[in-house]
Amino acid sequence: MSEPLAIETAGLRKTYGGVEALRGLDLQVPAGSIHGFLGRNGAGKTTTIKIVLGMTRPTGGNTRVFGLPAEQRQSSLAIRSRAGFVSEEKDLYPYMTVEETIRFTAAFYPGWRRDLEKRYLRSFELPVDRKVKALSKGMRTKLALLLALCRGAELLILDEPTAGLDPAVTEEVLQCLVAHVGSEEMTVFFSSHQIAEVEQIADRVTIIDRGRTSVSGALEDFRENYRRIQLVFGEEAPSAEKAPAFRGPGVLRVDRRSRALTLIASGGAEQIVEEARALNAISVDITPVTLKEIFLETVRGEG
Amino acid sequence: MLWHKSWLETRWRFLIGLAVVCCGAAGMVLVWPKIAELLPLASSLQVSGELGRQVRESVELSRDYRGYIWSQWFRQNGSHLGTLFAVLLGTGGLLSQPSGVLFTLSLPISRGRLLTTRMATGILELLVLTVAPSLFISLLSPSVGKTYSVTDALIHSSCLFIAAAAFYSLACLLSTVFNDLWRPLLLALLAALALAFIEQLAGDSLRYGVFRVMHGESYFLAGDVPWRGLLALTAASAGMLYGAVVRTLRQDF
Repeated sequence: MSEPLAIETAGLRKTYGGVEALRGLDLQVPAGSIHGFLGRNGAGKTTTIKIVLGMTRPTGGNTRVFGLPAEQRQSSLAIRSRAGFVSEEKDLYPYMTVEETIRFTAAFYPGWRRDLEKRYLRSFELPVDRKVKALSKGMRTKLALLLALCRGAELLILDEPTAGLDPAVTEEVLQCLVAHVGSEEMTVFFSSHQIAEVEQIADRVTIIDRGRTSVSGALEDFRENYRRIQLVFGEEAPSAEKAPAFRGPGVLRVDRRSRALTLIASGGAEQIVEEARALNAISVDITPVTLKEIFLETVRGEG
Repeated sequence: MLWHKSWLETRWRFLIGLAVVCCGAAGMVLVWPKIAELLPLASSLQVSGELGRQVRESVELSRDYRGYIWSQWFRQNGSHLGTLFAVLLGTGGLLSQPSGVLFTLSLPISRGRLLTTRMATGILELLVLTVAPSLFISLLSPSVGKTYSVTDALIHSSCLFIAAAAFYSLACLLSTVFNDLWRPLLLALLAALALAFIEQLAGDSLRYGVFRVMHGESYFLAGDVPWRGLLALTAASAGMLYGAVVRTLRQDF
């Protein structure tokens, strides 16, 4: 039986005026995972999140969260009652104090966790009487995170949660997330273009580029399967057309320079090596590929 | 909680408005003895043209305290201030504050509920802004040796409220069309100015103009409440508020 999905989109499209923000995005976020959503600026990450939360209507395709259609108003309310959200801007009400913001938010969630509220207020050292407009960006991020975590959400959606934060606060936020997920059963879906932080906390990753999913899967599988294969030939390296394995579906990139041919592939390394040897390769070197390299290769293709 | 949020977002506009209209109404009452002294002198003024006609009309109306209150408050200052603060309160819609929109939309509350709470808060504040100074006039009039009927105050302020609510609704609707605060504000005020100008040009031929209904002229002159005009304006306001809700439900954020 396949694992239950917290978020699922199929052929999701969104057009703003004449600009296509999403061009048939397929996304699957398994329940209970920490899912990193990587992409360049303008790749469609925020638009996807807004559609998932019912803030924006898609032009086409389907979105289901907890199995509920996100486009329908009633379902969207049910989804939002079970999800926490931290926006990139951490835009809260500047005229409310920290305490007022917490009480305002808690009023909409019957399952509000007072125990967590006390714990995070203490550990984040949030000044309860201070107005939100007087908080630093780091403090606002912590408050937004507290509001998202204490509502007893099953799904936490974070849009660039560490954008604009200093390394110390970034680390604090990430550690808090990991600790929270460790103690509570929940799914975390967070967008970012910070590859290091995705590698640090995510167990699954989707890379989006120009409104489409480029690659998606478990981070462990990425580490195990993705390989850089460097081939050196006695003469000019053969073109990819000469070996079917060089053009296989798992090959992300082929770089041919004089006698050297470099391939980045998500599988089929053995077959590539076999065909390379048949083409008289004099040197074969296979090395693991980092997520950063996979990301760069993925987005470079169309960039 | 949504009511509290709406109140926090509009309280300064409302409280400043309340202070301005109450001070304006009180000042108008307290200055009456001076006006009464100057009225005989005003009769000798020789001003020609439209301005002269208006001055003479104002002087004639002010010979009687009821006429003075009507011409100075319900026909001029009160209706001007009522229109201005109605537009100010209506501007913003769901985006009444530039920050916090995504946070609000991520909560398990329907957009319809968000907007109707915001609109209802604005309408209640507008009601207070239009009724409070009128009752204040009735309350303060004995201090200058005059009385002003509470019934008159309530009927005139109801006309003022219903007509001002049309400008409030227009500002709400425009706020769902434009994403900034300034364009809805300026366009609604321009619409009010244009209507005032058209009604001025049309004169008596336009029986149910917004401002004519707002002034409650037929009630002052003949004791007739302008029911048709009030109903038409209520329907127009309801239509515009409904349009604002529909637009917000369809809007992408």
